[in-house]
Amino acid sequence: MDSFDVIVVGGGHAGTEAALAAARAGAKTLMLTQNIETVGQMSCNPAIGGIGKSHLVKEIDALGGAMALAADRAGIHWRILNSRKGPAVQATRAQADRSLYKAAIRETVEGQPGLSIFQQSVVDLKFKGQKVDSVVTDNGLRIKTKSLVLTVGTFLSGVIHVGLDKQAGGRMGDAPSNLLAEKLRGLNFGVGRLKTGTPPRIDGKTVNFDLLEQQPGEPDRPTMSFLGKPEGHPRQVLCHIAHTNEKTHNLIKKGLDRSPLYTGKIDGIGPRYCPSIEDKVVRFSGKTHHQIFIEPEGLGTQELYPNGISTSLPYDVQLDLVRSIEGFENAHITRPGYAIEYDYFEPRDLYPSLQTKKIGGLFFAGQINGTTGYEEAAAQGLIAGLNAARLCQDKELWVPKRSEAYIGVLIDDLVTMGTKEPYRMFTSRAEYRLILRQDNADRRLTPKGRELGIIGEERWAKFSEKSDQIEQLANKIKKIFISAEDKNVNAMLNKPLGREYSLFEVMKRPEIKGTGLLEAAGLKDISPVVAQQIEIDCKYEGYISRQEKEIEKNRSQFDQAIPSDFCFESIPGLSNEAKQKLMLIKPKNLGQAGRIPGMTPAAVSLLMVYLKKEDSIKNVQVD
Amino acid sequence: MASVNDTIAAIATPPGKGGIGIVRISGPDASRIGKEISKKETEARVATFVSFYDSRNRPIDQGLLIRFKGPQSFTGEDLVELQGHGGPIVMDLLLKTAIKLGARQALPGEFSQRAFLNDKIDLVQAEAIADLINSSSEQAALGSVRSLQGDFSNKINHILEKLIQVRVLTEATADFPEDDIDAEIGRDEKKILEQLLRGLEGLLNGAKEGEAFSQGVNLVLTGKPNAGKSSLINALCKKDVSIVTDIPGTTRDVVRDDALIGGITFRILDTAGIRKARNEIELEGVKRALLEAEQADIILNLVDLTENLTRKQMEELEKNKRNRELVVYNKIDLVDRFEDFDNFLCVSAKTGQGLDILQGRLIKKLGLVNSGDSIFSARRRHITAIESTRAHILRATNLIENKSQSDMFAEELRLAQVALDSITGAFSTDDLLGEIFNNFCIGK
Repeated sequence: MDSFDVIVVGGGHAGTEAALAAARAGAKTLMLTQNIETVGQMSCNPAIGGIGKSHLVKEIDALGGAMALAADRAGIHWRILNSRKGPAVQATRAQADRSLYKAAIRETVEGQPGLSIFQQSVVDLKFKGQKVDSVVTDNGLRIKTKSLVLTVGTFLSGVIHVGLDKQAGGRMGDAPSNLLAEKLRGLNFGVGRLKTGTPPRIDGKTVNFDLLEQQPGEPDRPTMSFLGKPEGHPRQVLCHIAHTNEKTHNLIKKGLDRSPLYTGKIDGIGPRYCPSIEDKVVRFSGKTHHQIFIEPEGLGTQELYPNGISTSLPYDVQLDLVRSIEGFENAHITRPGYAIEYDYFEPRDLYPSLQTKKIGGLFFAGQINGTTGYEEAAAQGLIAGLNAARLCQDKELWVPKRSEAYIGVLIDDLVTMGTKEPYRMFTSRAEYRLILRQDNADRRLTPKGRELGIIGEERWAKFSEKSDQIEQLANKIKKIFISAEDKNVNAMLNKPLGREYSLFEVMKRPEIKGTGLLEAAGLKDISPVVAQQIEIDCKYEGYISRQEKEIEKNRSQFDQAIPSDFCFESIPGLSNEAKQKLMLIKPKNLGQAGRIPGMTPAAVSLLMVYLKKEDSIKNVQVD
Repeated sequence: MASVNDTIAAIATPPGKGGIGIVRISGPDASRIGKEISKKETEARVATFVSFYDSRNRPIDQGLLIRFKGPQSFTGEDLVELQGHGGPIVMDLLLKTAIKLGARQALPGEFSQRAFLNDKIDLVQAEAIADLINSSSEQAALGSVRSLQGDFSNKINHILEKLIQVRVLTEATADFPEDDIDAEIGRDEKKILEQLLRGLEGLLNGAKEGEAFSQGVNLVLTGKPNAGKSSLINALCKKDVSIVTDIPGTTRDVVRDDALIGGITFRILDTAGIRKARNEIELEGVKRALLEAEQADIILNLVDLTENLTRKQMEELEKNKRNRELVVYNKIDLVDRFEDFDNFLCVSAKTGQGLDILQGRLIKKLGLVNSGDSIFSARRRHITAIESTRAHILRATNLIENKSQSDMFAEELRLAQVALDSITGAFSTDDLLGEIFNNFCIGK
């Protein structure tokens, strides 16, 4: 077989974005997957987006990724979360039809020039010295490559638990990648074990929906992609809410003696924000009920995903607990719930580019790095794929900063602090939250993406048009003045103007929403997305400029690069603990050094002095 | 972490009631701040006699203002020196005004660090600066809430608790809108914010009334019974007092006395000899000694040289000492192996030999090297932090009614927490998430 610039192992959310990004960046790319039919598979809940997550999806989209467009083609129920709480914490979520989503991803992957797919399991990796050389597949093929991206999800030494029974598996019905796991363990990467779980799936025709609370979708449907249109959405459906009750909780407590979680069969650490139903019942024993979100699996199926009761209890307990729920008295389980334990690799062994520190040209992305969620995986995939391509093109590697994108927060957190539980994005993780909004992902990242060569013509043209309109309007509103007597405008305000103000000043008032004020000031035909950006820019001006000042202030010193061969041991006065941490993380710059848990300001100041002293402030790349 | 491109200010003269005191301001805003304090446009490098005013135009003092234009200055940046009368109150007012006008309180060693980064100081001097910066860890320990005692620390912790409580609610409802959190606990942020504001105001009033220097620092003296602790107290206090003024109740309690060193009151606590207790009363004495040592700003461990310690043993002692600990070797007058003691702090409480060096080391241990910082400044730092916290809480209070501004509300709370961090230590996002997951059943 030919040799490649980039090989991506895995066809999940990380793998597809990695392969697509590498190919968009101009690398000759091969995606290796155990099973082409599972490319783009949503293995857990049938939804894309949510708080912190739609931020990631829109950033992936702004960099030309596939996830948002696929969600727009598969979204059968749309919500805007926190719609009344201020734009920085607002988020979009789509319930997705699994098969439509998978089809959209497969079509994108197959249509991507420069990208080939090949159905093979990878059983071995070959290195030349400390560099990637080739991969070996299960039928003995050896394929040479310059860069290699591993996105093997939960497949490394995966073990599936239902009750006290366990079996090897990477996802129910799929084999784990044990040979690969063994190979990687042999390379001395730090390894940890995590756990995640799914609820039992239910046959919808055995559920009495009349007894459930209806949850309608957003009447004014949003889109996930900058290029998406609500008209492109498939038929929309309802979701429902059900509740557990005391009877459910008692059944669960009685079954705990056969729970792998409570009998010590599972060592992996599960996420605190997504506990199994048995965990909820035990840890919050005072609660008399828990919510269950009944999500449709798709348009062409009756199957339901009861989000909120993920469990690894034995099947008979699962059936009893499901049937104790109002509306589910006669429910039939189509697939039992299960817990899965899997290996992940210590993400602090990675550079911010997601290249491993040990093997040149080897990148990790997705759950292998200890994260959870499709969106988190896809975000890493895009960065790893892009950098895998740039590495073999001898171009400078790129990662967004914490002040530029949630993707930057995600990666910096992982490579600097590591993680103890499956890592999920929350808006509270971003210190620049007011700047990193889902509504301005395109403004933050698309110009950079264009520079990196991964933005197509259609997106760039549409983006440029919008960004010109925003600029023009921003100039106009500072030059238009509203008189104190303006009846139309005063009617929109709680408190009359009192004196003449610029339109820019009036826009800052919290009562002002939408295009009404602009129209009253004679600015007709302004597109709602442009008006929204102007409105937020005006209202948040004080905060945004404060945060921008902070970013600017930090830039000169925090961006100061630390050479990769810098000898931390040579700094007198630095505690041994600090030295050890610095040598483990090998921070790329002073800012990252300062964020290592336990590093004191004094230690960072010392580092600053010694960086200067060694006179080694050379232009270091993010390798 | 210190930033290198903002404007910093500090009292540059040693703390105490000297005749002249200097406040130094360095950075891009230094000239402007100097001009606003003096209300005069002054020529660079010319000492000008001016009046100093506070931010509300009330006169503070009269003195000299010297303005240096970068890079021709000590730090290589624009730099202004305000030379006034050296009383601590005046110096504090000048520093406070500079901070109000946009400067940030300098960290220990920061002026020198900037000089170095701007190529104003030779590379050879880097080691000395490193020492200076290192002393800031001790300064930070001194400023941390753990080293503060009693009322202030209780109040600060109480405020921290309330702030975290309201942030947990705010962040949890933002990140987990579908988890019924509003319903579970009811929205009582407003009440908590009012309590917070009252607490912060109470703290500020208390802090301003207090006489900074009268607080002093706690020095705990430890060492074997015959190490010469009593003689050392007498020597440092320069008076011949009876040191066996046992407090009733036990015979092995703590003995106290005050020594004035470099204008700072050191409250010296002599602990019972820490050794294997032979009876219950002694045991109690040892327990108290350990407790006192925990709360000390400085621990002075006195070692008897006549016990013929080997150099290796002495090196062990230095290596194993605690962060705030100073190992001092007494009775140098009774031994003659001087060549062995090069790098050790040796004194004779009896003859007074080495006591001046010891006094210098005590001041240095507090982080009060020539960095223009002082206990006073440490307190100033607290007050600045509390004032900034209050300002953000006030702004948050104004935003609370309007749900559509809840993200700005959360930002003000975050900034309040960042301001408080300088006293209480950092509270990370991970800590916050941990609190949320402990308190609420989160997740589908």
